[in-house]
Amino acid sequence: MININELIMVIILLSVLLSLASNRLVALVKIMALQGVMVSLLPLVLEHHSRMGSGGLIFFQVMILIKGVFIPALLYVALKRITIKREIEPIIGYHASLFAGLIIILLSIFISEKLHVSMASGSELLLTTAITTMSAGFFLMMSRRKAITQVIGYLMLENGIYMVGTALTKHSHTIYVIEFGVLLDLLVAVMIMGIILHNINHAFDDIDTDLLNSLKD
Amino acid sequence: MLELIFVLPILTGLTALFLPSNMGRGMLLIAALLHLQLSMMAWFGKLSVFADRFFALEPAGMLVLLVTSFVFLCIACYAICYMQDTEVSSEPVFIGCLLLFLGTMSMVTLADHPIVLWIAIEATTLVSAPLIFIHRSKAALEATWKYVIICSVGIALALLGCFFITLSIDIADVDVALTFTSLNTVATNLDPLWLKVGFIFVVIGFGTKMGLAPMHTWLPDAHSQAPSPASALLSGALLNCAFLGIYKVHTLMYLAGLGEFSSNLLIGFGLTSMFVAGVFIIRQPDYKRMLAYSSIENMGIIAFGVGIGGIALYGAILHMIHHSLIKSSLFLSAGNIFIGFQTKLAENVGNMAKFLPKTFLSFFAGFVGISGLPPFGIFISELFILLGAIQMGHPVYAALFIFALILVVAGAAQIVTDMSFSANVGQVIGIERYLRVVPPYVLLAASISLCIYMPEGLYTTILDTITIIGGTIHG
Repeated sequence: MININELIMVIILLSVLLSLASNRLVALVKIMALQGVMVSLLPLVLEHHSRMGSGGLIFFQVMILIKGVFIPALLYVALKRITIKREIEPIIGYHASLFAGLIIILLSIFISEKLHVSMASGSELLLTTAITTMSAGFFLMMSRRKAITQVIGYLMLENGIYMVGTALTKHSHTIYVIEFGVLLDLLVAVMIMGIILHNINHAFDDIDTDLLNSLKD
Repeated sequence: MLELIFVLPILTGLTALFLPSNMGRGMLLIAALLHLQLSMMAWFGKLSVFADRFFALEPAGMLVLLVTSFVFLCIACYAICYMQDTEVSSEPVFIGCLLLFLGTMSMVTLADHPIVLWIAIEATTLVSAPLIFIHRSKAALEATWKYVIICSVGIALALLGCFFITLSIDIADVDVALTFTSLNTVATNLDPLWLKVGFIFVVIGFGTKMGLAPMHTWLPDAHSQAPSPASALLSGALLNCAFLGIYKVHTLMYLAGLGEFSSNLLIGFGLTSMFVAGVFIIRQPDYKRMLAYSSIENMGIIAFGVGIGGIALYGAILHMIHHSLIKSSLFLSAGNIFIGFQTKLAENVGNMAKFLPKTFLSFFAGFVGISGLPPFGIFISELFILLGAIQMGHPVYAALFIFALILVVAGAAQIVTDMSFSANVGQVIGIERYLRVVPPYVLLAASISLCIYMPEGLYTTILDTITIIGGTIHG
C-alpha cells in the first residue's frame, strides 16, 4: 500500500529538484503552484493533525487556495507584464544547481538524523523535506539573477519553514487565526514584491538584480 | 478595548488610501491625536484587553507604544507640511501607508503571542515598503527591493526561531498557553537546547530588522531614499519595535537561566554594529546615510546595554527612548535641509547657519544630542551603560564601547560642521516654514525635559521592565 504522506513528501522533494533545474520562468511558477498545494495538503494527512474540526477544514481550503492559486497567479501576472521568459545566464548553471540540490538532500538527511527530535511515526521524512526545501529556497535566491526568481526562492523558504512548523509543533499550539495571519502576510508580501518588480521593470527595462547596485558604500 | 490602539490606525489608514489628499491630511492628524490619547488611556489602565490569548499590555511594550505614538504625532504634523512642499506623487498612498505603519507598529507593542508578534513585524515591513519607493526613482526602487527582500528573509528566519521556541515547550511537555507572559512563568521547565537555537534565529531575524551588523545592509539605503518623514519613522519607531521582539525573547531566556548565553550574543552583535557604523560613517557623502549609520550605532548601543544587564539595562531603555526622540528630530531637520538645498550630498550643503538658521539650530542641537553630550538624555543613558559595563566586570567591553563611540562622533562631527559652517554652497531654494521647523524642536525639547523631570509613571514602568531580568538603577 502506498503511504500517502510519503507520496506527498516525495512530490515536494521532486518539485524542489525540478525548480532548481528549470530554465523557464513560467514552468517555475507552475512548479511553485504544485509545491504550494502539496505543502498545504501535508498537515491533513499527518497523524498528529488528524483530529480536525470544521474550522480546520475551511482553513486548509483557504490555504490551498492562497498557496496554490492566488500566489502563483500573482507571480504569473507579474511575469506576463515583464517580457522576459527565460532565466539567462544564472550565476550557477542548471546542471550544477541540480547537483547542488542532491547534495542539499543528503545534508538534510544527515542533519535531521542528528537532531534526534522525537516525532510522530510516519513523519521521519518530513524534517528532511522541510530542511531541503528551506535550503533550496536560499540556494535559488543566491544563484539566480532575475528578481522574480528571488521571490520564488523566498516562497520556497517560507514553505520549508511552514513544514518545520507542522513537523515539529503539536497541534495544540497552532491556532487557525494565527496561521491565517502568517498566510496573509505571505500573500501581501508577494503582492508588494510584484508591484515593486513591475516598477523595477518599468524603470530599468529589465529585472536583473545586477542592475540594482548603485547604492553602496 | 485595548485592540483599538492598532485597529483605529489600520482602519483609518485603509480609508485614507481612497480619500482625496486634502481630506487625508486632516485624517492623518486626527488619527495621530486619537492614537496618542488611546495610548495614554492604556497607560492609565483604562483599556481592558479583549483577546487575551494574543495581546497584553506589559511594561516594555507600553514604553515602545508611548514613544511611537508621540514621535508619530510630531512626524504627522511635519509630514502634512512636507507633502505640500515636495510633490509626493501619490499622496493618498503615502498617508494611508503612514497610518497603516502606525497601526502595525502598535500591534507589535501589544502582541503577547510570539507568532502574532512575528505577523505584526512582517506587516510593518510590507506597509512601509510603499513609503520608501514613493518617489519611484531608480535608487528608491533599488532600496525598496533590498529592504523587502532582506527583511522578509530575515524575518522568515525569526519565524523559524518562534517554532523552535514552541518546540521547546513540546519537548519539555509543559502544558501552557503560548504567550510570553505565561511562558515567563514556566521558563525554567522549558527545553534549554531548543530555546537557545530559537534565540539565535530570533536575534538573526529581528536583528535584521533592527539593523544589527552584519545584517544591516538594507538600512542605510532605505533610510536615505525614503522621504524624510518616513525615514524618521523607520529610525525612531520601527527599529524599537524590532528590538522589542528580541527583548521579549531575551527576557524568556534570562528567566530560563540562559541569560549568560543570550547576553553574550547581544553584546557581540552590539559591539559589531557600533564598529561597523563607526567605520562606514567616516567621509560619508550623503548626510541621510550618515544619520542611518548613526542609527545602526545606537541600536548596537541598546543591544550592548541589554546584554550587559544590571544598571546598563536601565541605560539601554533610556537610550531607546532618547534615541527615538533625537534621531527622528534629526531626520526631520535633514528633510528641511533637503527642501532648502535640494540635495542629499553633504558637500553641496554649506553655511547652513546663515541660510537656514532655524533648521541649523535644530540639526546641530540634534547632533550634539546624538553624540552623547549634555543636556540631552543620551549623555545619561550612555553613562549608565558605561558604568554598568565596568561594574559588571567587563572593562574590555567598556573600553571597546568608548572607542566605538568616539569613532562615530568623530566621523559625524566632520560632516556636520562642514555642512553647518563651510562656505561652499550653490543656492538655497526652499524656505523654512513654521510647521516643518517646530516638530524637530518639540522632539528635542521632549528629550531635554525627560532629563530634568521624569514622570513617576514612566519611571516605575521602566523599573517594571528591567527588574524582571535583573536590571536595577542602584549600582
